[in-house]
Amino acid sequence: MNSLHKKYQPFITLLCRLLLGGVLLVAGGLKAFKPSEMAGAIAAYKILPANLSHLIGYALPWLEIALGILLIIGLTTRLAAVAGTAVMIIFIAAIISVWARGILIDCGCFGGGGEVDPSKAAEARRAYLMEILRDLGLALSGIYLYFFPYGRLSIEKPLQNIEEQ
Amino acid sequence: MAKQAKATKSSGGDNFTRWLVIGMVTLVVASGAIFSVVGEKSKANESFAILSDFKAGPTVVSTVDDANGAGITFNNGAAKTVDIWEDPQCPVCNTFEQANGEFVEDLVRAKKAKVVYHVLSFLGNESVSAANAAYCAADEARYLDFHKAMYLVQPVLENSGFYSTENLIKIGSYAGLTSQSFIDCVTKGSKLDKVRAAYESMGKYNVQGTPTVFFNGKLWERKNNAFLLEEFAAAFEAS
Repeated sequence: MNSLHKKYQPFITLLCRLLLGGVLLVAGGLKAFKPSEMAGAIAAYKILPANLSHLIGYALPWLEIALGILLIIGLTTRLAAVAGTAVMIIFIAAIISVWARGILIDCGCFGGGGEVDPSKAAEARRAYLMEILRDLGLALSGIYLYFFPYGRLSIEKPLQNIEEQ
Repeated sequence: MAKQAKATKSSGGDNFTRWLVIGMVTLVVASGAIFSVVGEKSKANESFAILSDFKAGPTVVSTVDDANGAGITFNNGAAKTVDIWEDPQCPVCNTFEQANGEFVEDLVRAKKAKVVYHVLSFLGNESVSAANAAYCAADEARYLDFHKAMYLVQPVLENSGFYSTENLIKIGSYAGLTSQSFIDCVTKGSKLDKVRAAYESMGKYNVQGTPTVFFNGKLWERKNNAFLLEEFAAAFEAS
């Protein structure tokens, strides 16, 4: 098992990097050029005061893009993975928070966002569950990358590997 | 696992890379955010362009009827009554406004009916700010113009920062509201008690959503969602 993992670890790391990085990059890219939409989406969570949620609406997509690129090219993977995991955990907490408070919104994860018509309550709740599971999977990818940051097709290489070569 | 962890720690150059990357990420995020803020500002200016040829009409005095959910009341004492319940951020209210706004404005200006505007604010903070500004405009006898200008620039998204104090004052300036008293009223939120009273009266009048219209206290049961002027006018005549 252990040797099997050792054999495939560089590929799993690559897969996790592309998964977490890819989702972050796409999510950030779709939102970065619609900042007012993003600001409205964050305001709909009703967690932060209006001004702060607008500010985060402007900054968050760019953070996602930056982390996504770092993960995909494999530069400071561990650091980017920690930050990416933190972002995912915040998303999970925010969705649980709106779910628990009975607020019906579109998460605005990939753009859009805002309140959902009450007639679509069941769909919105199902979406919450899927979003939590998705973000949980991405957070787990991030945690894996924390422990095994070095894999295939990565700019940074562990020193030991370089010495071995 | 242990091997990989050790490899990072033993490298001195890695520390430099780390700080370099943190610095670059911060730079990207900061410049991206600034770019977005600037973009939003210019977009707001674009939507104000609609108002460049906006002509404010003569002033019309209104009263605030505290007994009737703090409604902004025109032509008190006229035979027919029209009660209109709206939220400044509600997109369907804008549809209603574009279809029937002129008709209602004529009812007010030509004193054909008593018209009561109930400015609601259940769509969030920016509805509260906008409703407050609407009451401020009513104080200066310019509710009609402010209300019209506000719906013309209504943003597609709710609570996205558009109905800021700054922008509400700017909307006012197009509607002939340039006095210091209006600016102070918007800035200080002087009318928030009226805004709250209007919001709290929804239950009393059994108003479930916006826009809702009552003719002589009787709910207008519209037949379609386009708020056709013919249907609205006919319902008014029949009332």
